[in-house]
Amino acid sequence: MRALAGLARRALVPGLAVLTALILGAVVIILTDFENLAQIGSDPAGALGAAVGGVFNGYGAMLTGAFGDPERIRLAFEDPNDRTIATAIRPITETLVAATPLIFVGLAVAISFRTGMFNIGGDGQLIVGALGATIVGVGLQTSGLPSLVILALAIAAAILFGGFWGFIPGFLKARTGAHEVITTIMLNYIGAQVVLFALLGPSLRAAGSSQPISKNMSAWVDVPSIISLPAIRLDYGFVASLVMAAAVSWLLFRTTKGYELRAAGFNPTAARYAGMSAGGSMMLGMALSGGLAGMGGGFLVIGATGQLTNDLSGGIGFNAIALALLAGLRPSGVVAAGLLFGALTTGGKVMGIQSGIPFDLLFFIMAMVIMFVAAPGLIRTIWRVKVAKPAPEIASVAPTAPAEPV
Amino acid sequence: MRLELREISKRFPGVLANDKISISVDKGQVLGLLGENGAGKTTLMNILSGLYKPDSGEIVIDDQVRVFGDPHAAIAAGVGMVHQHFMLVPVFDVVEAVALGAEPVSGPFRAFDRAAARNRIVELSEQYKLNVNPDAKIENLPVGVRQRVEILKALYRKSDILVLDEPSAVLTPSETEELFGIIRSLAATGTTIIFITHKLNEVIEVADKIVVLRRGRVAGTADPKTTTRQALANLMVGRDVELIVPKGPAKPGEVVLGIKDLVVRDDRLELAVQGVDLEVRAGEILVIAGVQGNGQTELVEAITGLRTIDSGEITIGGHHVERASPRQVSDLGVAHIPEDRGRDGLIAFMTVAENYILDTYHREPYSRRGIFNLKAVSERATQGVKDFDIRTPSIQTLATALSGGNQQKVVVAREFSVPVQLVIAAQPTRGLDVGSIEYIHRRIVEQRDAGAAIVIVSTELDEVLAVGDRIAVMYDGRIVGILAGDDATLENLGLLMGGAIFGEGTAA
Amino acid sequence: MSAAVATALPHGEGLAARRALRDARIRGATLLALGVLSFYFASSAFSTPAIFLFRIYNTGQDRFEVATSVGLLWVIAGLAAALVGALQLWRGATFRWRPWLLVLLVPYVAVILGALLDGTIANLSRVLSGSFELATPLTLGALAGILSERSGMLNIALEGKMLVGACVSVVVGSVVLGATGNMFAATVAGVSAAMVVSGLLGLLLAWLGIRHRVDQIIAGTVINIGAVGITNFLFLRVLGSSPELNTPPNVAAMQLPFLSDIPVLGPLLFSLRPYVYLSIILVIVLTYLIFRTRWGLRLRASGEKPAAAGTVGINVLQIRYRALFFAGLICGLAGSYLPLATAGSFQMQMTAGKGFIALAAMIFGAWHPIGAFAAALVFGFADSAQALLSILGVQVPPQLLNSVPYIITIVVVAGVVGRVRGPASAGQPYEQG
Repeated sequence: MRALAGLARRALVPGLAVLTALILGAVVIILTDFENLAQIGSDPAGALGAAVGGVFNGYGAMLTGAFGDPERIRLAFEDPNDRTIATAIRPITETLVAATPLIFVGLAVAISFRTGMFNIGGDGQLIVGALGATIVGVGLQTSGLPSLVILALAIAAAILFGGFWGFIPGFLKARTGAHEVITTIMLNYIGAQVVLFALLGPSLRAAGSSQPISKNMSAWVDVPSIISLPAIRLDYGFVASLVMAAAVSWLLFRTTKGYELRAAGFNPTAARYAGMSAGGSMMLGMALSGGLAGMGGGFLVIGATGQLTNDLSGGIGFNAIALALLAGLRPSGVVAAGLLFGALTTGGKVMGIQSGIPFDLLFFIMAMVIMFVAAPGLIRTIWRVKVAKPAPEIASVAPTAPAEPV
Repeated sequence: MRLELREISKRFPGVLANDKISISVDKGQVLGLLGENGAGKTTLMNILSGLYKPDSGEIVIDDQVRVFGDPHAAIAAGVGMVHQHFMLVPVFDVVEAVALGAEPVSGPFRAFDRAAARNRIVELSEQYKLNVNPDAKIENLPVGVRQRVEILKALYRKSDILVLDEPSAVLTPSETEELFGIIRSLAATGTTIIFITHKLNEVIEVADKIVVLRRGRVAGTADPKTTTRQALANLMVGRDVELIVPKGPAKPGEVVLGIKDLVVRDDRLELAVQGVDLEVRAGEILVIAGVQGNGQTELVEAITGLRTIDSGEITIGGHHVERASPRQVSDLGVAHIPEDRGRDGLIAFMTVAENYILDTYHREPYSRRGIFNLKAVSERATQGVKDFDIRTPSIQTLATALSGGNQQKVVVAREFSVPVQLVIAAQPTRGLDVGSIEYIHRRIVEQRDAGAAIVIVSTELDEVLAVGDRIAVMYDGRIVGILAGDDATLENLGLLMGGAIFGEGTAA
Repeated sequence: MSAAVATALPHGEGLAARRALRDARIRGATLLALGVLSFYFASSAFSTPAIFLFRIYNTGQDRFEVATSVGLLWVIAGLAAALVGALQLWRGATFRWRPWLLVLLVPYVAVILGALLDGTIANLSRVLSGSFELATPLTLGALAGILSERSGMLNIALEGKMLVGACVSVVVGSVVLGATGNMFAATVAGVSAAMVVSGLLGLLLAWLGIRHRVDQIIAGTVINIGAVGITNFLFLRVLGSSPELNTPPNVAAMQLPFLSDIPVLGPLLFSLRPYVYLSIILVIVLTYLIFRTRWGLRLRASGEKPAAAGTVGINVLQIRYRALFFAGLICGLAGSYLPLATAGSFQMQMTAGKGFIALAAMIFGAWHPIGAFAAALVFGFADSAQALLSILGVQVPPQLLNSVPYIITIVVVAGVVGRVRGPASAGQPYEQG
């Protein structure tokens, strides 16, 4: 019971932050509903009503898009067969599919923040990791190796590629003091160009396409599905993300390496006095972080999409920052927040199709979530509740002054 | 101007920092405000300089009641403050640093009229014989000069009341003498001066009147002509203090720490330690005394593996450690209590238990092959909290929630939680209350009697005299003299700290 | 110039200059090596012609032609590098190498262009004037960064504020243009609106950082991500269905009277968009304000040691709020450049990292407006040359060329070409009593 109360207290600020952000999102939807707002002069109540109706339409579509349409679920119960069951559970499985890379990159962000590194290069690390998986996947097309072996090799390559992409800013910070915010963002752009370059070359590009799209690898390598029903994409990548969450939690709190990472993150000087290598922790933390993000990219490209495109990430790196902060940088929290954001992402896409409210609104909502989590005073003022101070990691990512101002 | 503070009270969460404090000082008088760390001196002065607002009470200057809402009002009323930590922009030159906030301007864009400011500064510098080069960059000036720049800053604002907060903390005895000369001449020209310190002999030397604060209240007043150090000390701590730590005679054994011709550079690559030779034996306490900034910090960092050395030898228990890492040094059984425990010795946002294992976490029983034994960690930490009487709600409390004394106890408990052959303690009692100081000293003496070699770096003469079996005085990167604890007096220590080199005969 | 250049250490001061001296030696040796390497390249390139054209006047087809060989250019560049390297070795740590680096840049740029063109004839007037044009948003962004960081606030939100500024300038400009048909009024309205909105975002950043003590990096990230979300959303939901809202006024190049008639220089320097002239004026004005006025003194004090400013009665927080507001205004101006001067409409995420490149220009320019302007010119030139090379169909992968500014940015922030010290207290919250 005490544990439950603790959980509720911890979830209060994140919950209210998401709620407030969604309300702000609704305000934006209403304010940009020019069709209905144009009528405000002649019929103010009607115009506003219609605009608010638009919000309910949009958010409603988001809800059914993420969790399923009650009508279809009813049909599946009445007439259970592969097709009806698949239609009924497809939204919720898509939510889990969307949550998978979010959890991977969310863990990546959490581990880097714990090391005092503000990694906003999740996008780049994810896509470079996906490139690594694609190179191995496509390269082993005619090898005749079993799918699972190719999968393992591809994921290993993804981890290495992503890890390297994360290691670079860690190395630069440790050796030269170059601020990781700038270097990781620059590496996002460079990573995108590298992937574009690789995809436009002859070896990876899909036959007969002039677009930057790789060959579809699902014919010879795939992540095994959890549920084998038509149009259900949920695979063991999701399970892998949960396993990694447990592994990260174990690493951070049960091993001396994790202890060193956290110590260096909070106070690099004290860590040095205690005989640890703060620079080493920065590099290790960033490499692990990049490796996790790359792993997410690997599972995404081998599993859910089957092929690499240059817009594979779709802003997962940005959302992962919001997610990790929302989770209080706790791996278990990352899983919970990842599921929530997976639902928002899946639902947001359905909202875009059904009600014409662009998916990109989510980025705005995510930004607001970060703001409210980082400034709980705002939540306190708006909702008149007593809230705890933010976790120290969130209050200040770099508890000591950066070696070089940005 | 005559200054009077009437019944000033100021409360911070959990502390009544000032409790109805009333003091007064006449024009041209030097008031010595004496008190321990935490007695409320600095709070009172921040109220006087407009940084804090008092909860109640009033400030009266020449029979006029003043309310200082911000530093501006205080400056306008003629109160000038010389802060303990200098408030000078390091990259500015003296003219810019002094004029900041009271800049003469010219032209429509309020251009800084540097020439006007410079003229005035040169004038003041000559008038009060401060001898400051107006075009020097602050960061290139020695501390003594920086302090004169601070005084210049107050004079530049036409302050009639000058408040000096612990002005001698970073000065050599001769610089302090110079400062006293300036204070006397300022007082002679009619400036009212409040001199805040915790050093007994200084108030006796320079003040016309002494007020002693204790736990936020006025504990008493004294006349410097008739009072004694002991009387003032008793007023300050509220009971008879033992300025001597109870300890038996040292029984020096084998040499544990050996240093030969050590040369170390500081962060700016200047020579900070210039050829130090030192031997510390098992079972003795060697105190390294000296004014802050004479190479003690770099010496300690060199011994503990935190700083690479230029040349020389360091051995610990016979092992050469010139190139050892902090981990290797610590694994030789060296306890290091760092100078700035908040920054270097603790991780504020980790728990007491996690801090308790900060430099031993990689050893058994805390961990094996990189994996923690959390049960062992919490058992040992609980034991440490009990043994060292650390006041904390639990071992899962964040270190930042503890008081300064308890934080220091966490550090000491941790360092003494494993067998040690050498203890390096830099300023181990800085900022602590009397009770904690005694406790920490007792623990250190225990380690000595158990056979460890102890090195304490201290700038506090009282501490130096109380705990040292031998006292090495450091000046300008060199050991300028080593005294036996019994031979040391305030006078000969003061001379050595100021750079006067004794004959070899006094070395132990 | 007080905080800005830390490399020039005066002789005889107490500060030991060993590290500076070591850096100086490495720098000198590298430059010497570069010179020798250049001579080596020269040996095989004398047969390759390098022909650069310059326009003489804005009107007409007259061309001024510089014809030489790539080999000769290598020799010149090599000589220059060796000379600067030798100077650096001779003068040691007191050598002011930054300006010399810019001098070196000219021959090396010429030779690299020549080598890449491999005999193709290139019109340089457009490349050089294009450098000024493309440098402008970076210069303005860097100025905004300088204002913020000199006051003690990190500002990684330049990118987001520029993006929002771009979007607002387009919408407001389009509306006013549609309603009045007056190009000038529409431009002024669009730009002003962009500046105000960006300025308000600057205040939001300051408020989160100061009032709510949000880490300044996180606060900047909020604005960067939020800006992408809201502008993408507006583009897809509103601008997509109402193209009349995405038809902003166009800011054309302006030929300055008399000056634009100067041969060669006229078309190159004095026939640019008003934005360019405005940014150069701002560079001069801000240099004066920051280093010569009371306001500037207090601004720098707030960024270096806020407690020193606070104890003499200066309202540090007010200075920071104002600095961030003004920085926001400049950011809005920078953002409006992209659609109004170059793209002709708003596109999703059209800033493409320019805000971060501007930060790099600020760092490389040692937090000094003039230095930042010079650094921005380098980035502008890289951009401009890349456009030329891709038009001429040079065999370099476009993705590599596209990455060049980002790679330079990383090199700059890593301090590979010399470390500089920024405002000491930037990023640390200040508690005012």
